[in-house]
Amino acid sequence: MKPTHHLVRLIGAALAILTLAAAASAQEQVVNVYSYRESGLIQKLIDTFEEKTGIKVVMLFSDTGLMERVAAEAENSPADLILTVDIGTLDTAKRLGIYQPLDNASVKARVPAQYRDVDDAWTGLSMRARVFYASNDRVTETAMSYDDIAKPEWKGRLCTRSGQHVYNIALIADYITHHGLDAARTWLTAVRDNLNGRPTGDDRAQIKAIYSGACDLGIGNTYYMGLMQTAIDDPQQQEWAKSARIVFPTDGDYGTHVNVSGAVLAKYAPHRDNAEKLIDFLVSDEGQALYALGNYEYPVVPGIAPSPVVSAWGEFTRDPTPLSDIVANRAAASALVDELRFDDGPQN
Amino acid sequence: MTPARHKRLPAGLAVVALLASLPILNLALAAATPGAAGTSALGAHMLMSALADTGLLMLLVGAGTIVIGLFSAWLVSYFEFPGRRLFNWFLVLPLAVPTYLSAYAWVEFADYTGPLQTLVRALTGATTIRDYWFPEIRTTPGAAFVMMLVLYPYVYLSCRAFFQMQSGAMTAAARTLGASRGEAFRRVVLPLSRPAIVVGATLVLLEVVNDLGAVQYFGVNSLTAVIYATWLNRSNFAGAAQLSLTIVLIIALLIWLERRARAGRAYLGHRDSKTPPPRERLTPGTAMLATLFCLLVTGLGFGVPFGQLLALSGRGLMAGTLDRSWWPAFGATAMLGLLGAGLCVGLGYFTAWQAGAGAGPVRKGLVRLATMGYAVPGTVLALGLIGPLGFADGLINTGTRTLFGFGPGLVLSGSFIALVYAYSIRFLALGHNTIEAARERRGSHVLDAARVLGTHGLRLILKVDLPTLTPALLSAATLVLVECVKELPATLLLRPLGVETLASIVYQQATAGLFDSAALPALAIIAVGVIPVIMTSRLSSRAIERAREGDMT
Repeated sequence: MKPTHHLVRLIGAALAILTLAAAASAQEQVVNVYSYRESGLIQKLIDTFEEKTGIKVVMLFSDTGLMERVAAEAENSPADLILTVDIGTLDTAKRLGIYQPLDNASVKARVPAQYRDVDDAWTGLSMRARVFYASNDRVTETAMSYDDIAKPEWKGRLCTRSGQHVYNIALIADYITHHGLDAARTWLTAVRDNLNGRPTGDDRAQIKAIYSGACDLGIGNTYYMGLMQTAIDDPQQQEWAKSARIVFPTDGDYGTHVNVSGAVLAKYAPHRDNAEKLIDFLVSDEGQALYALGNYEYPVVPGIAPSPVVSAWGEFTRDPTPLSDIVANRAAASALVDELRFDDGPQN
Repeated sequence: MTPARHKRLPAGLAVVALLASLPILNLALAAATPGAAGTSALGAHMLMSALADTGLLMLLVGAGTIVIGLFSAWLVSYFEFPGRRLFNWFLVLPLAVPTYLSAYAWVEFADYTGPLQTLVRALTGATTIRDYWFPEIRTTPGAAFVMMLVLYPYVYLSCRAFFQMQSGAMTAAARTLGASRGEAFRRVVLPLSRPAIVVGATLVLLEVVNDLGAVQYFGVNSLTAVIYATWLNRSNFAGAAQLSLTIVLIIALLIWLERRARAGRAYLGHRDSKTPPPRERLTPGTAMLATLFCLLVTGLGFGVPFGQLLALSGRGLMAGTLDRSWWPAFGATAMLGLLGAGLCVGLGYFTAWQAGAGAGPVRKGLVRLATMGYAVPGTVLALGLIGPLGFADGLINTGTRTLFGFGPGLVLSGSFIALVYAYSIRFLALGHNTIEAARERRGSHVLDAARVLGTHGLRLILKVDLPTLTPALLSAATLVLVECVKELPATLLLRPLGVETLASIVYQQATAGLFDSAALPALAIIAVGVIPVIMTSRLSSRAIERAREGDMT
C-alpha cells in the first residue's frame, strides 16, 4: 500500500511543522507569561526586564479564558506566570487550583497584605481607583460619595459601561461588602434609573460622552483619564479629557474603591526561578515606577510616587477592605446586576 | 454511486462528525452537571432582553442584507450600466472587513466627534449633543445598519452565482409578454431566486448570532454577554454551557429552516437553457441611479471603514507611532488561513459527496452533525475545545513518557493544530454548503454519464467531479480563508504561546486604545481578504464562461 505510506509521511511532516512553534522555546532562558493585559501596556516593563536579566519573556495575550486554558493544559502547561487586570480573574486562578503559593520574600516584604491573597495564591502589582468623571461645565460638586449618585438630582445625567463588566462588578461587590445585599439592591436600582440610557462603550467612552454633552457624571477607572490626557498619537483625546475632571468618591467609613492588576505563579511553572525573578522585578522600585509611569496606575508598593499626571488629580483615601473579602461578593453582584436588568438602562 | 457503498458504515464520515461535534458534546456534558452556583442560568433576567435584542438584530440585518444583496445582484446580472463590470466584484469587498473593525470605524465616523456630526454642528452652530438630533449609532438599529453593510455580500454572492447559472430565458419571456422590469423582477426573478436568498441570508443570520465584538461595542444585549456574565462573574460554567447550547439550538433551527426551504428547489436542478442572461441597457437616467446605488452600498460597506483605517494609519505614519513588529503575524495569519481553507474545502468536498444523491438518514445525520460547528460562537467553541485538547495532550505525554521517557509537551493545544482544528469545525459548513449547493445545481447527470462510460473511483473524482466543481471549490476556499483571517475569539484563546496573528494584534492594540498601531494590521487583514475575493471573482466568472462555452459546443 504505497499511497498510504506517502500519506503517513505527509501527515508526519505536517505535524512536525505545526508543532515546531511549541518546541522552539524549550532551550533558551525564558519565562512564559499568559497575560490578560495587552502586551503593549507592559512592553516597557518587559523590555527592561529582558535587558537586565537576559531572560526572554514569551507572551500569550487573551482577555478571556487563559485561566481555563492553564487548567486544561494541566501538568503540561508551559505557563510560568499569569498576569491579570482584575481581582475576579485572580480569584478564578485560586478556585481552579492552578497556582502555587507565592512564597516570595520581596512580595511579602513590599506588597501590603490587603492587596494579596490570604493563601498567597496571588499578589496585586498595580492599583487603580474607580472614580467619578465629572463634567467641568455642568458639575460643581467637589466631593461626592457613591451614595450620592443614587440621588434624584442625577436623573438622566449618569453614565457608565456595562454593569457586568468586571470593574463595575468589583465596585458593586465592594458596596455589598460594606452595606449588605438589600441596601445594595436599593442603591443600584436608583443608580440604574439615573443613567442617561443603556450602558455602552468602555470607560474612555464615558469621558467622550461628557465631552459631547450626553452625560454629566461618568463612572470609570483613573488611568483612562491619564491615557487620554497624554494621548500624543491622538490629540483629539486630550481635548475630550479637558471636559472632565476626576472626583474621588469619599464615603464616611471607607474611601474610594480600588482594584488591582496582579500575578499568579502557575502550579506547574517550568521556569519557576525565572518567574520569581520577573515577580521580584515587577514589585521592585524600578518595576513599580514603570507601572506608574507607563499606564498611569498607582504603585501597589507604598512609598513609590505615581506619575505627575496622576498626582495632579489629588490625594484620596483607599478603601482598606481586603480584596479577598470583596471577591467573595462578586457572584452576588453579578446576580444583582442581572436581576435589576441594569444593562437595559433606566426603568423608572 | 452503487447501493453497496451505502450499506457500509460510513466510518470516515463518523470520525469527522465526532471530531466536529466534540466541543458541543463537551458543553452538553458540562451543561448537565449542576453549576457551582446551584442555579440554572436559563433563569437569567437578562435572557429575555438578550433574546429580544438578538431577534430584532436578526430581523433587521436579515431584511437589510436581502434587499441590498438581491437588488445589487439583480442589477449587475441583468443590466448594463456605467461601472457594472467593476461593481461586479467591488460589491463583494465588504466581506473582507471584519465586523468588529467595521463597527469600530463606523462608531468613530458617526459618533459625536466623527466627521458627520462635526459637519452638522458646523452647519447648525450647535455646541453640544443636546442642541440637535442625530441618530445614535450605539443602538440595536445602529448595530443592524453596520452589520448589514458588511454582511450583504453573502446574499449578493449566492444570488449572483444563481443568476449567472440561470438563463435569461424566463425573464426575457416575461418581458416579451409585456411585463415591466419591476414586474419581471417581482414575479419571475424573486420567486426563482428564493433558495439562493435563503442560503445567503442563513449565512448572514449565523454571523449575527455568533458575533460578539461588534454587538458589545454597540451596547446591544447579546446572548454572549449573558454567557460571559454567568461564566466569568458568577463562575457558573455549567450555566454558561446551558446558554451556549441555547444559541446552538437557535442556529440549528435556522439551519433546519434553510434545509426545508432548499428542499423545494429540485425544479431548479439544472440550467434550463444555454443562453447567458442578456443584459438590458438602461436609459441614462436609470443607469445613473444603478451606478449610484452600487457606489453607495460599496462606499458605506467598504469605503467608510477602509478610509477610516487609512486615515488612522496615515496619522500613525506621520507621528511615527506605527508598530512594525507585526510582520511575523502576517506569516502566521496567512499560514493559518491557508491551512484552514485547505482543510475545510477538502472535508467539505468529502461531506458534500457523502451527502450526495442516495445518502440515507444516517449519512445525512452525520453530515449535519459534522457541519454543526458553524452554529457555535467562536468563544464557546474555544472554551469547549480547550478541555478535550488538554486532555488529549495529557494522554499523549503520559504515553510517550512511559514508552520513551520524555514528553513532547502540548503538541495539540499548544500548536497551530488547535487553531486549524477550531477553524475547521467553525467553517466546515461554509465549505460544505457551497460545494453541496454547486453539486445540486450541477446535478448528477455528469457523473452518471461518466460512470456509464466506465469511469469510476478516484478517476471519476479527479477527471469529472472536481473539474466541474472548480468555481464552487474556489469560492468555498475564498470564503473560508477570509473567515479564518478575520476570526477573532477562538484565535485569541487558542493560538500558541508567543504567536500573534493580525487579528490578535489588532484586537490587542485597539483594546489598549492604541488605534493608530491597530490600523495598519487591520488594513492588512482587509488586504488579505480582498486579494482572494478579487481572484476568485475573476476565476469563477471565467470558469462560468468556460462552462458556458463548453455547453454550447
